[in-house]
Amino acid sequence: MQSVVEFDNVGLRYGTGAETLTDLSFTLFPGSFYFMTGASGAGKTSLLKLLYLAHRPSRGAIRMFGQDAITLPRNRLPGFRRRIGVVFQDFRLVPHLSTFDNIALPLRIAGISERELRGPVTEMLAWIGLTERADARPAMLSGGEQQRVAIARAVIGRPEILVADEPTGNVDPEMALRLLQLFAALNKLGTTVVVATHDIHLLQEVEGAQMMQLDKGRLSDPTGSLRHPPKPLILKN
Amino acid sequence: MLLDFALPAHDRKLIPEGRLSGPMPWVIAIMLFLTLLVAAAGLTLADAAQKGGQDLSRQVTVQIIETDPVERANKRAEVTRYLRKFDGVTSVKPVSDTEVRKLLEPVLGVDILDADVPVPALVDIRLNQAPSASTLGSLRSSLRRVAPDVRLDPHSSWMAPFYRLMNVLLWLAGTVFLLLLVATSAVVILAVRSTLNTHRGTIEIMHLMGGTDVQAARLFQRRVALDALLGGFVGFCAAAFIMVTLGNQFAAAEPSLLSGVAFPLYGWVILALIPLAVTALAMLMARFTVISALKKML
Repeated sequence: MQSVVEFDNVGLRYGTGAETLTDLSFTLFPGSFYFMTGASGAGKTSLLKLLYLAHRPSRGAIRMFGQDAITLPRNRLPGFRRRIGVVFQDFRLVPHLSTFDNIALPLRIAGISERELRGPVTEMLAWIGLTERADARPAMLSGGEQQRVAIARAVIGRPEILVADEPTGNVDPEMALRLLQLFAALNKLGTTVVVATHDIHLLQEVEGAQMMQLDKGRLSDPTGSLRHPPKPLILKN
Repeated sequence: MLLDFALPAHDRKLIPEGRLSGPMPWVIAIMLFLTLLVAAAGLTLADAAQKGGQDLSRQVTVQIIETDPVERANKRAEVTRYLRKFDGVTSVKPVSDTEVRKLLEPVLGVDILDADVPVPALVDIRLNQAPSASTLGSLRSSLRRVAPDVRLDPHSSWMAPFYRLMNVLLWLAGTVFLLLLVATSAVVILAVRSTLNTHRGTIEIMHLMGGTDVQAARLFQRRVALDALLGGFVGFCAAAFIMVTLGNQFAAAEPSLLSGVAFPLYGWVILALIPLAVTALAMLMARFTVISALKKML
């Protein structure tokens, strides 16, 4: 099976400091679901930044969609990024855009016409329960609502990889479950999903999901043979 | 690139367009007001210099030095007749003694002129083109056969310092015009950088979702174009008001002092094009500024 992401001995260093990520080698396959866990400061967000091409690593090799992502010319990055959906930990909604416009943003960037995008965006608004708040700006939304908008924006373009940083951190358990079901549904359609979370209970909710555990910038299983959660031992950790 | 100005309404919302709230349109209006006034002054000078220069460079005054008034009148008549037949002379106008005295009165005074001071006889001629040194030489030698003490004064020679001054002023106007354009470009670059910093978060999000540098640059180009057009319109109206007012003042002034000094009609077309050119320049500056700034992002 061809991989969607391959990390080979990847290291990331900010400035002249110590390495934030060290010797990461793993492979992500299409249609797989991964949970990424680890203590605060373990490097989860940095690893996600490498995955959604916000940073280039300091060393090592990364292949995405079968191509070398490190030597990729800058003008080809947008094409790759359009294949990746991102849910940011701090949501990063555009403050002066409405809920509708925030969700429609990736489609507009991809050049989808207004006529074509109206239906999917309206459907997504209904799915996250924010149809009534379609015209509201982020400042008018609660933390949980903002998070749902951020998730809707990330998945609206049916990305090949979905990267989510603590996507259920600000929503109630019921909504967290619904969002996870959305991720699982996307996953069934072939999207590779990587969810960074502190909430180890979520690991039990997605059948067949694999776990990547980061510890001080290193994968706890450096061979990359990711294990199937949940296991009592992991839950206790 | 100018077609990038037309963006769909939803794209325009990505960078809020607070056109009248920011200082940018008003700074551009002031810069363009000054630019247009300098351009108008330059165009007026250039037009006056060209028209006056063409006219004066073809004029020559023939002086006949003769103390005897009767002989002087005869020679003037003879020179006039001769010049009317001379090839290349388009008009000949003998200046009467009364006119010559009028010209000299402010310099020599009435008393001296009344004391029968000999004054030269003058004949103004106009040639079909500015005379070269050889044309003047041949004219002079031909005239000396009729009047040996004849002198030729081409008007271009005594107007030369004045036209040199005009040229210096034209260069000065051109330099100030260019400096103002440079200053306007600098204002645009600073404003775009400031807006880029304000909306860095939005641009980063666009980038991470696969937005290209050109897509981001278009947002800024549009914003800058609207600011520049608004500023240009205000600047043009203000400059036009000043020019029309000044034009009326000039028209009311002593005509002989300012004859030939008027803003040419084609100048209005040039002035109207300047705000549009500045808008295009501003869009270009915005595009390069944004794209070069974004290249520093991954």
